[in-house]
Amino acid sequence: MKIFSESHKTVFVVDHCPYMAESCRQHVEFDMLVKNRTQGIIPLAPISKSLWTCSVESSMEYCRIMYDIFPFKKLVNFIVSDSGPHVLNSWTQEDQNLQELMAALAAVGPPNPRADPECCSILHGLVAAVETLCKITEYQHEARTMLMENAERVGNRGRIICITNAKSDSHVRMLEDCVQETIHEHNKLAANSDHLMQIQKCELVLIHTYPVGEDSLVSDRPKKELSPVLTSEVHSVRAGRHLATKLNILVQQHFDLASTTITNIPMKEEQHANTSANYDVELLHHKEAHVDFLKSGDLHLGGSSREGSFKETVTLKWCTPRTNNVELHYCTGAYRISPVDVNSRPSSCLTNFLLNGRSVLLEQPRKSGSKVISHMLSSHGGEIFLHVLSSSRSILEDPPSISEGCGGRVTDYRITDFGEFMRENRLTPFLDPRYKIDGSVEVPLERAKDQLEKHTRYWPMIISQTTIFNMQAVVPLASVIVKESLTDEDVLNCQKTIYNLVDMERKNDPLPISTVGTRGKGPKRDEQYRIMWNELETLVRAHINNSEKHQRVLECLMACRSKPPEEEERKKRGRKREDKEDKSEKAAKDYEQEKSWQDSERLKGILERGKEELAEAEVIKDSPDSPEPPNKKPLVEMDETPPVEKSKGPMSLLSLWSNRINTANSRKHQEFVGRLNSVNSRAELYQHLKEENGMDTTENGKASRQ
Amino acid sequence: MPTVVVMDVSLSMTRPVSIEGSEEYQRKHLAAHGLTMLFEHMATNYKLEFTALVVFSSLWELMVPFTRDYNTLQEALSNMDDYDKTCLESALLGVCNIVQQEWGGSIPCQVVLVTDGCLGIGRGSLRHSLATQNQRSDSNRFPLPFPFPSKLYIMCMANLEELQSSDSLDCLEQLIDLNNGEGQIFTIDGPLCLKNVQSMFGKLIDLAYTPFHAVLKCGHLTSDVQVFPRPEPFIIDEEIDPIPKVINTDLEIVGFIDIADISSPPVLSRHLVLPIALNKEGDEVGTGITDDNEDENSANQIAGKIPNFCVLLHGSLKVEGMVAIVQLGPEWHGMLYSQADSKKKSNLMMSLFEPGPEPLPWLGKMAQLGPISDAKENPYGEDDNKSPFPLQPKNKRSYAQNVTVWIKPSGLQELNRLRKAALAFGFLDLLKGVADMLERECTLLPDTAHPDAAFQLSHAARQLKLASTGTSDYTAYDHNITPLQTDFSGSSTERM
Repeated sequence: MKIFSESHKTVFVVDHCPYMAESCRQHVEFDMLVKNRTQGIIPLAPISKSLWTCSVESSMEYCRIMYDIFPFKKLVNFIVSDSGPHVLNSWTQEDQNLQELMAALAAVGPPNPRADPECCSILHGLVAAVETLCKITEYQHEARTMLMENAERVGNRGRIICITNAKSDSHVRMLEDCVQETIHEHNKLAANSDHLMQIQKCELVLIHTYPVGEDSLVSDRPKKELSPVLTSEVHSVRAGRHLATKLNILVQQHFDLASTTITNIPMKEEQHANTSANYDVELLHHKEAHVDFLKSGDLHLGGSSREGSFKETVTLKWCTPRTNNVELHYCTGAYRISPVDVNSRPSSCLTNFLLNGRSVLLEQPRKSGSKVISHMLSSHGGEIFLHVLSSSRSILEDPPSISEGCGGRVTDYRITDFGEFMRENRLTPFLDPRYKIDGSVEVPLERAKDQLEKHTRYWPMIISQTTIFNMQAVVPLASVIVKESLTDEDVLNCQKTIYNLVDMERKNDPLPISTVGTRGKGPKRDEQYRIMWNELETLVRAHINNSEKHQRVLECLMACRSKPPEEEERKKRGRKREDKEDKSEKAAKDYEQEKSWQDSERLKGILERGKEELAEAEVIKDSPDSPEPPNKKPLVEMDETPPVEKSKGPMSLLSLWSNRINTANSRKHQEFVGRLNSVNSRAELYQHLKEENGMDTTENGKASRQ
Repeated sequence: MPTVVVMDVSLSMTRPVSIEGSEEYQRKHLAAHGLTMLFEHMATNYKLEFTALVVFSSLWELMVPFTRDYNTLQEALSNMDDYDKTCLESALLGVCNIVQQEWGGSIPCQVVLVTDGCLGIGRGSLRHSLATQNQRSDSNRFPLPFPFPSKLYIMCMANLEELQSSDSLDCLEQLIDLNNGEGQIFTIDGPLCLKNVQSMFGKLIDLAYTPFHAVLKCGHLTSDVQVFPRPEPFIIDEEIDPIPKVINTDLEIVGFIDIADISSPPVLSRHLVLPIALNKEGDEVGTGITDDNEDENSANQIAGKIPNFCVLLHGSLKVEGMVAIVQLGPEWHGMLYSQADSKKKSNLMMSLFEPGPEPLPWLGKMAQLGPISDAKENPYGEDDNKSPFPLQPKNKRSYAQNVTVWIKPSGLQELNRLRKAALAFGFLDLLKGVADMLERECTLLPDTAHPDAAFQLSHAARQLKLASTGTSDYTAYDHNITPLQTDFSGSSTERM
């Protein structure tokens, strides 16, 4: 359906002239209490609705169904006409609900039978209806603004449903002429206005209603084109239930609705709680929900609906739902529903059942007797939808399994970790607009993409590709380092994690290094730690541009991690000696462990003091102009040639301490670019010249490093 | 998107084609040559497509039912006999039946009609069909437009000049128009020869059978994929925005949602997302092991052993019961999930939502979905026991609130709702009637009744009567009748 079809704008014009106060002459059974009593009570006088009451309640029912099925983009403007037009609401979306209309109608009240009929007319309302059709809706406005130079593509069509009591066919013709003329005039006005739109197409639906038992003075007439802009149809309908039935048919025609009757709904009987009888409930919805039946001609019409023989309904059978298992059905459409009999007991039982969160599958009865599930009823946030499930053969049947394709033979994917990643990257609605620092609107979905980008900067897909993500000890760092910004506590946790790793290395704890693809036992322990530190560095480096605090984590890591290659070599040799010692002196081992525990305790003490120091550093901030501290060693140099204590273990207390001081100091000034980029404390000058010369020089640069 | 090849085997297809210096060809040979090329292409690049082969003259026959076995199709091509005259309408009707029986009415199909442009004579000729198509009843309606979403490709074993010399081209164009413009006519450029037939079928392949390759991205994690079947362009509203929307070749994941929250959403189409190894990448990865004699099989084996993001994603989606929301274009989204075909086989599947800012009302606007880390507290709860979905609509639907409908007498309900609705509907007589009824009840109260009952009944009756006069403050719509304040616990004599 086009967005701006005739159904975008519906104007109700309801006659409020004195003759509408007349009774419809169909009694309302309201004295129900008498039925079950003993005799001897005088029944109360019968009452009946006025023509006005019948008209209003039928049009409200039309609106109820329409709002249920199309809560947006289908708008109603309600006008009451007597000595002048009373426009009860506007096209704005806030005005589009039953409560607003009911309150406005209550304020109008029933027509005054004693008012002067001479000065009352439905014409006032019809003129106002044309006027209101020229008014632009917010949807039209939005579309026009968006389309810019193509704004003329936005159509302006509408429908006027006029309920009145006409005097004759010529009276009806007079009303049509009036509408025709008014459209002509208002289109002229609208042509010269920015706020109004010319009416391209208007459907006039004139409903003549009269008391039951009287003869109609007006004849029915099917839709007829009166001009290229205006079509008109006339319905002559008895008041009372007949009028309600007519408007129910019209709402279905106007909004392309179809009817589905759910049969075999088991329900507890009010009187006999143990038994349950089967009920039927009729629902209305967009007819697209029946598209498969319509096209295949396999339409199972349940004959006529209970109201009479005027319309078709498709019968679907209720399938008692199993336990609430969450399943993703292949659903080709979902359409809002509205029960025909909204407050009947079977209807409300069904809708309440659904509103409580249960879904019901519906089965299509087939002549062959085979069972085909074709639809599902399900509520989402207080709205019930009829889902169309695909019941035909799938064109994707028997696809190659994912295990047969690329990457299908790999068996150690980090499935659980990625599951955790997905849960951290779940979405949630942000209904209130947020703003960036520069005042522009922040789109939550863009934030979600940013987060995914950050979280995946370093994300090995398989277990054998990573060490750090297989280590519980790294979790506190890995989980926060991906964040956009870190708190001081985060930084501290990262530092603790690093110290903890240092401690592990001291204790020579084994690492979960994959031995896949290697022969024998795999790499030596110190080699394992080198791999682990390298990987951790990769992770942290991927985030150093997030914030200055991320930088601090890297600094801590660089200060603590094990030594560069030449140092490694020396250490390796030392380690070999150690291994031998280990084998020979088993007794000494216990002592070793004791000692390393003491070490780690002392480390904790340092950590505590470090914390205090950190706080201090935060308070006393040097200005960027202050001179560089004399003992400051550049970061990179520190990495390449650690200052002191190289004999045993990855790091001595002294070096830990001085590194901490150095790091704290280094934060107080901006490092020279040359020094940052220097190799072995030597910065290469005129690098850009070499870069211009291309690859060769860059390789030279590398070579000079070795 | 299944394909039906509809091959003309009328006598006119046996007309010879003069090719200099070689053996004599007939038009049907050219057609078979072109179809062979199409089948070979599909067998290698479009393996999952189901194809059926129908031949027709004055009658039609389903030679090969829908299959992915292209050898069978190929064999059938060489086993075709020659028959009488062309009768296109019955063949198209046959296509309708075959497709609807197999796939129903909602799966899009491509119909490849191969003919020489001689459209028959007399009754049953296309000319006759088109001339009478406005005088049909519902029972013998012309088969176009097809009762399923479709593309009609007409492959003419003739060149343009030949078709224009008769009214054949007009008739064929009318066919496309009747199919709501869905389809295209292909003719042979230049003389009728194998080479030119190949180039014609090459154009069809480019248009309809090139695999859709894309890059699936989740931040820095990426995978080259083929999306099958090819996603079709989609028109949102032909009046406001008539330009068809096409999906991006970068499929960017924006976040994840639980299956229970996404809740069987309606989708336009479903597609398999198959990881592929592109040649370039394959070579790069395989360095050291690859040698030039390597066959395709072992190349596949190597690709199977290289970690692929699709497999990781699929595994985790399956285990966690989640879907990944993927951006397909501006204001166009879809979802990725694990789809099990059988107990053992499962696959990564992508479904496309309808384009627009808010494809699923229960999720709200897509652009307003953001990362949970931006929320003050985790909307899923610390123990994962909550969910921010579904979103509640601003206004409740009629069935979710107590609306008053009095069209049937059973709809008359309790006092205040009754009063309100009576005021709105201007049905003041009802209020008077109910007031009378309450007063009568008052006189009929048994002796055992609580004394308060009488007070409350007459109070309610009085209030309703006041409202029914339509004058006083009591007609205010929002006014509510409240129970009379009575106190029987204290000294009743005081009250009396």
